[in-house]
Amino acid sequence: MSAPTQDAVLDIRGLVKTFGALRATDGVSLQVRPGEIHALIGPNGAGKTTLVAQLSGQLQPDEGEIVFMGQVINRVEAHARVGLGLVRSFQITRLFKSFSVLDNVALAVQSLQPQRGSIWRSVANDRQVYERAAALLQEVGLAARADELSTALSHGEQRVLELALALATEPRLLLLDEPMAGTGPEESERIVALIDSLRRDKHMAILLVEHDMDAVFKLADRISVLVNGVLIASGTPDEIRNDSQVRAAYLGDEELS
Amino acid sequence: MIKLEPSAASAIPKPAAWKLWLLLTVATAVLGYWMQSQGLGYYLSMISRMMIYGLAACSLNLILGYGGLVSFGHAAFVGVGAYTVGILITEGMPNGYMGFGLAMLTSALLALVIGAISLRTKGVYFIMITLAFAQMLFYLVNSVKAYGGDEGLNIKVRSDFGLGIVLKNDLHFFLLVLFLLVVSLALMQVLMRSRMGRIVLAQRDDDIRTEALGYPVYRYQLMLFVIAGAMGGLAGALLVNQQNYVSPNLLHWTQSGVLMIMVILGGVGTLAGGLWGALLLLSLEDVLAEITPHFQFYVGWVLLAVVLLAPKGLSGMPELWRRWRQPAAKSGGKP
Amino acid sequence: MTWILFLEQALNGLQFGLMLFLLASGLTLVFGIMDMINLAHGAMYMVGAFVAAWLAHLTQSFVLGVLLAIPLTALFGMAMEASLLRTLYARDHMSQVLATFALILIINESVRMIWGTDLPLAAPAALSGPVELLPGLFYPSYRLLIIGVGLVIAGLLYLAVTRTRVGAWVRAGASNREMAMAMGINIRWLFTLVFGLGAALCAVAGALLGPLLAVQVGMGESVLILAFVVIVIGGIGSIWGAFVGSLLVGFVDTFGRTLMPALFRELFPPQVASAAGPAVASIMVYLLMAVVLFVKPQGLFAKR
Repeated sequence: MSAPTQDAVLDIRGLVKTFGALRATDGVSLQVRPGEIHALIGPNGAGKTTLVAQLSGQLQPDEGEIVFMGQVINRVEAHARVGLGLVRSFQITRLFKSFSVLDNVALAVQSLQPQRGSIWRSVANDRQVYERAAALLQEVGLAARADELSTALSHGEQRVLELALALATEPRLLLLDEPMAGTGPEESERIVALIDSLRRDKHMAILLVEHDMDAVFKLADRISVLVNGVLIASGTPDEIRNDSQVRAAYLGDEELS
Repeated sequence: MIKLEPSAASAIPKPAAWKLWLLLTVATAVLGYWMQSQGLGYYLSMISRMMIYGLAACSLNLILGYGGLVSFGHAAFVGVGAYTVGILITEGMPNGYMGFGLAMLTSALLALVIGAISLRTKGVYFIMITLAFAQMLFYLVNSVKAYGGDEGLNIKVRSDFGLGIVLKNDLHFFLLVLFLLVVSLALMQVLMRSRMGRIVLAQRDDDIRTEALGYPVYRYQLMLFVIAGAMGGLAGALLVNQQNYVSPNLLHWTQSGVLMIMVILGGVGTLAGGLWGALLLLSLEDVLAEITPHFQFYVGWVLLAVVLLAPKGLSGMPELWRRWRQPAAKSGGKP
Repeated sequence: MTWILFLEQALNGLQFGLMLFLLASGLTLVFGIMDMINLAHGAMYMVGAFVAAWLAHLTQSFVLGVLLAIPLTALFGMAMEASLLRTLYARDHMSQVLATFALILIINESVRMIWGTDLPLAAPAALSGPVELLPGLFYPSYRLLIIGVGLVIAGLLYLAVTRTRVGAWVRAGASNREMAMAMGINIRWLFTLVFGLGAALCAVAGALLGPLLAVQVGMGESVLILAFVVIVIGGIGSIWGAFVGSLLVGFVDTFGRTLMPALFRELFPPQVASAAGPAVASIMVYLLMAVVLFVKPQGLFAKR
């Protein structure tokens, strides 16, 4: 593992989380550098979900520090982390069912506005917000479905919308929790292309938690492997591919071709 | 080209037809004048009562329908508003501005305290805790003998607003209620069409997602709770004037149930749903009470039918009608 | 407060708590397994009391009245479940609240139409006298019967839930419904059974408390709230939680009503004491719930 960089966007140091006798997170340390896609893989039950929950603020770690943009954010509330630039997407799609595709994104864009919760600002006069939302929908290719209810989208399209919501808050670090979950080959290609363009065009730092190995090896600059709460390996895709420990952990679980 | 405004399909309320509102209000006022001139003061008083309950139900709809928060203690805010005015009048302070103002303030403060604690819980625990607080207030009010205790509090005069307004006059009272009702509904509309309104609707769908977008959901829920509480207090202030009496039963959890019935009859999450529901329920009860002393029996069946078959209440009628005529059309799933 | 008085109140608290347990256990099971808020639970308690009073009058036997009321109320509960309540399982909590609230209205009025607003139910003459438990401590024998029955039923319930196969299914369903269904347990009949059991327990409580609290329309509403408080304190889905919660509420309520006014009379001037004492007594239970929820937001013995 390389030495901790001063300018890492996200620096996780020795994170520990126990539930009774179970050490779900056992001294995990990793960094995500600016503009890189750092993938986190591991078998089911490895503790990926627990780690994501601690990063997004839903769970409090027992030990260790989460350093974001140089600031320790352990005590920062979940919603405030978004304001700092740490944004997550959800593994199980969480969209606003009574809103259209456009309004879903508009709500996300609204979050960045001054007076975002004002009673005196009518949504009908929020041109700026809707302009940004429309532009975002164009980017991700959902513009044609803008006025339909989010529930009318196919599963793959919903995963894209899920991503768009996270993007709308202009994150410095995107925490993607299995964005490809439940998608078919065509849809996952679309999402992979989208994530790739994020890194390429926006130099966005991304922590990608995924099971889809094709996507992981296509996208990742670095990969870390989590097994039973412990980070057993971390390095470039080639290093991980050839790591014996990783092969052993994955034997029978996933294929590393 | 994407239209840069809320989509028609979204739950965000459509812009109000203000002209229509004005027309309806003026028409109702004129109707009131006419009824007074025909000596139908009794019916004026009856309609006033329905509008007051409508106001209370609309305030509940704000947190229940729009906010998605099943509060079982809303009647407490109405009751507290009523008692505030009642106690002030009893103590020789019938000034309407002070009375109504304090009623709303007290209810708002109470909502702040109750909401601050209750909103930290979710689901059934939220329902239970709001219910518990309401019951606490019920017992409190019930035991204060100085202001009537379990027998309730009678007031000798109605609130005094000066300016030639005499609330004892059925028409004056009717017009005051109408005015306050319309203003409250207008404020509700502005609220739900605002940025805060969109956050409220979003957290109703998914509060975790809303939080994950950076919004401190608790704060907005609390604000909504306080506004609804104040509105309930206003309804209470009007109610004690209308009845010249307030009883602790107004705070009982079953009264919260009655308000909920009105909301669901009229349409959950619609602006005037509470009003239509109040009109429907109270009219239904009045009509049935003439026929049989067991009218609650029939009210119960109507409510059950609505919950099971027409959960959107009156507001869902057009859709139900459409679906009944064309069973092959796409159905919208569970409401 | 003398020792005699204290023990007397303790026994009252125990008696009340045990009866609350009969109500709360059915309620917590329905809530825990079917995830349904059933406001009509109190109505079944009332129906049980009325049926018992009516049958006791018909047969001129308190015992027969109570014993016959149990299966009849259970059948009534199961019929209600199979016909109406089943459709509510999939619905949201608010719909359940409203629908079961509607049922309260219907059942209350129906009872009134059939029997009138109240019906007398007298405890058997044999149990009208007090029993001397300790020198100087006289306690009504009827209340002792209630305590006895309550303890026996609690014990039987414990055995049924922990030692029988059906009990295991119930416990499985309470903690993880999907898992239970996946294991092939016939959920539908289990639900109906649990409902019937809850109704039966309500009937026992209603019939036994009838002589003490008066059999009247609306008796269900006040006790329903306490039952909900109990299961919230004890943890939804947990019978043991319902037991502990019931006893806690029973004691706090009983002692609150006797101690608080007395305490206030000692500490405050009479006007304050006469008003504040009873008020605080009534809200003691809710304060207890608030404290418990503050420390353990899911209740003391939460299943999920």
